[in-house]
Amino acid sequence: MAVSGTFADGVTAANPPAGGTPGGTPRRRRRGRWSAIWSARWSYLYVAPMMVLLVGFVIYPIGASLGYTFYQWNGIGDPTDFVGFANFAQVVNDSIFWGAVRHTFTYVAIVTPVQLVLALALALVLNNRRLRFATFYRTLFFLPVVTSAAVIGVVFQLMFSNFGQSVNDILTGFRITNENIDWLGDPNVAMGIIIVVGIWHTLGYNLVYFLAGLQTIPEELYEAARIDGAGRIAQFCYITVPMLRSVGVVIVLLALIGGFQVFDLVQVLTNGGPYFATEVVNTYIYHLAFGGFGASAVQPNVGLASAASFFYGLLLIGFSAVQVVVIRSLARRRAGQ
Amino acid sequence: MKRRDLLRAAVAAAGASVLSGGLAACSSEEGNRTTPSTSLTYWDWYVSQAGWVDNELKLFDKAHPGPSIKRTTQVTDRYADLLALSVRSKNTPDVFMIPKLPALQEQVDKGWLLPLDKWATSQWQSRFPANQFVEGVNVFGGKVYTAPFAAPAPSLQLYCHHGAFKDAGLTNADGTIKLPKTWDDVTRAAEAITSKSGGKAYGLGFGNAQNFALAWWIDLFTRGAGSPGGTATMDYRVGRWTFASDRNYADFLTLLLDWKKRGFIYPSSMSISDEQARAFFSQGKFGMTVGGVWNQPTWTENKFTEYSLVTLPAPDGTPKAFFYGPPGGSFVAISAKASDPERAWAWLDWLYSKEAGKRWVEQGLGLSVYPDNNDPSLVKFEPFAEYVAMANTAFIGPTPTVRNPEVAKVTVNAVKPDINDVGAGLYTGQLKDVAKALSELQDRLNTAQDDAVKAAQAKGAKVSADDYVFKDWDPAKPYVHKPA
Repeated sequence: MAVSGTFADGVTAANPPAGGTPGGTPRRRRRGRWSAIWSARWSYLYVAPMMVLLVGFVIYPIGASLGYTFYQWNGIGDPTDFVGFANFAQVVNDSIFWGAVRHTFTYVAIVTPVQLVLALALALVLNNRRLRFATFYRTLFFLPVVTSAAVIGVVFQLMFSNFGQSVNDILTGFRITNENIDWLGDPNVAMGIIIVVGIWHTLGYNLVYFLAGLQTIPEELYEAARIDGAGRIAQFCYITVPMLRSVGVVIVLLALIGGFQVFDLVQVLTNGGPYFATEVVNTYIYHLAFGGFGASAVQPNVGLASAASFFYGLLLIGFSAVQVVVIRSLARRRAGQ
Repeated sequence: MKRRDLLRAAVAAAGASVLSGGLAACSSEEGNRTTPSTSLTYWDWYVSQAGWVDNELKLFDKAHPGPSIKRTTQVTDRYADLLALSVRSKNTPDVFMIPKLPALQEQVDKGWLLPLDKWATSQWQSRFPANQFVEGVNVFGGKVYTAPFAAPAPSLQLYCHHGAFKDAGLTNADGTIKLPKTWDDVTRAAEAITSKSGGKAYGLGFGNAQNFALAWWIDLFTRGAGSPGGTATMDYRVGRWTFASDRNYADFLTLLLDWKKRGFIYPSSMSISDEQARAFFSQGKFGMTVGGVWNQPTWTENKFTEYSLVTLPAPDGTPKAFFYGPPGGSFVAISAKASDPERAWAWLDWLYSKEAGKRWVEQGLGLSVYPDNNDPSLVKFEPFAEYVAMANTAFIGPTPTVRNPEVAKVTVNAVKPDINDVGAGLYTGQLKDVAKALSELQDRLNTAQDDAVKAAQAKGAKVSADDYVFKDWDPAKPYVHKPA
């Protein structure tokens, strides 16, 4: 951490040495760069294993799978059936794909704000020094995070399928509903269940991030505000929120990324069904690449799945670009004010 | 210890372990090349049949002393992927159950399988019933690669829970339950069970969480009504998919939606898995369910035996179409890279023996390719004896690859939504119009079929749409293939 933004020899990135200035010769510039790398060699050494894994298991597969997008290939042997851009055309014209995109964005659009509001509220409560057993509560809220989404999916699937009928009996007994609900088999209910479980599952992450952010706010600020007569709401609006803004942007970004990665929960809870009502893009790609449940009988199409991955990647890059532009314009407007 | 000393020690230890690992690998490879002292590897996806396989392994080891056979049971729905990966990593099991993908012809073309002609002589083949070794099915380029193990069998049945039927008063004078034979019988029984249980049980139920159980219902009922393709294949009488042009499909789906509307179907049927549905049926939560003979071992294990089965309920009680299989068949094969082909053959030969097939039937696992083994009187367990007695509802059907082996080069892409999806869409109300949904499905499937034939023709395969037409086929009789 000590070298972040500061070279080891004490020269800051903002004030580069003479060799690194635009006016320096290329040789001096190169020597300066190498000496900077050499002086930070331990940092590079520590980063190296992670980089090797990243290149081997993320960067390389992405690059390698680009080639597959131009083939119809069942994943066995080498791809030989060249189809050009036909896979991309099929994805673009597939209503199931667009349905999956819609479901993914709906999931993100609901899970992210609800989860962040809940996490912030809980963090404020848990940050209260007078609260007893705060550590116990933190552990309790963080517990779902350390449990695999697939395991949670299995548990909830078993709960709804085994006890769903008993819940139905209670609901109809109290006349809350007139008819039985097929919890994971009803297209209107299943997505709601996935969203609720998704919120519960990763709430702990955001809670911990917010708690860390809250603990960086100096207590003196609140004391000064109280002396000036500020109430709790005023303290929250004029101290907590502005002081959390920078960490808040990171939390929102992480929550969005996590939301777009939703896969295992859907795969285990509903398998994307019924009739694609809960299909998200990642399960759509998985089903294309490996077939449905009876994969032994369904011809998988790795080429089409790769094309869908790339197209979705492009969509997300476009979405991220829009997000960056919006955040920058907001920051600029705020700076203007 | 100083840091430098620590690093030195670590490097020395790592070097030693790499060296010893490399040496070990070398010696292991050397060992394989000279004396096949390592155990033979065998892969399958049998879980509920594991008892039979393990017993056969034990008997084989006793009869053939030597290196043991290491059995690995792989996950059913990932088996094809795993075997393909094993080939790619040059780690193929010596003997393995043949995956459904890629097509057997492709596996042979890729050199995965060892030809068995050295051992599978005409004398060996003569132990099987006639016409079991067929070019395009288990023989490719005149070479035998595998053999049939099971006889064509009724793949689906309607299971009836004795308790639910008796509680609803659906019994004969002798106390046995009234088995439904017609679509109306099923409706009446479902109504009686649902209404007389006071909300504790439903007439019908299934577990569609994995998105295939609804297709079983459509398949079983439409076959009985005279649609020979069911949901599995096209109607070979016309060589086209007929989900819309054959009214049986729309009629049954309308009936299914009527059952749902009238509250006869277990409400959580779309949420529960097939395994859970199996358990709920045994608990009497619903009186009837559709499934295969694979249900029976699990129920027996859980001491549930109070059920009966019927197959092919038809609108008028007389099935018009049946279950069909190809002549011949396939089961296990030997890897082209098998370390000890002689012992691998001995194990394969053991699995194909008449005695092993007899034990397969006796344990209630299915029908044997040897007709003598399929005698209901030899089966002690009543529900399985009922199943064995249904053997006459399954026979040889038209098989395009038998008439023209070039058809094996036609690869039809899967369509989405398929019949499983359409069934779920209609059942959950996401698709409103039965006729329109079936018509679009039929178009998708026929287009995929036409495209596949055209693609194969473009690559030089001598195939045409006519290869799928068997005008002389009577679905009520076994089909005898004639040369093209």
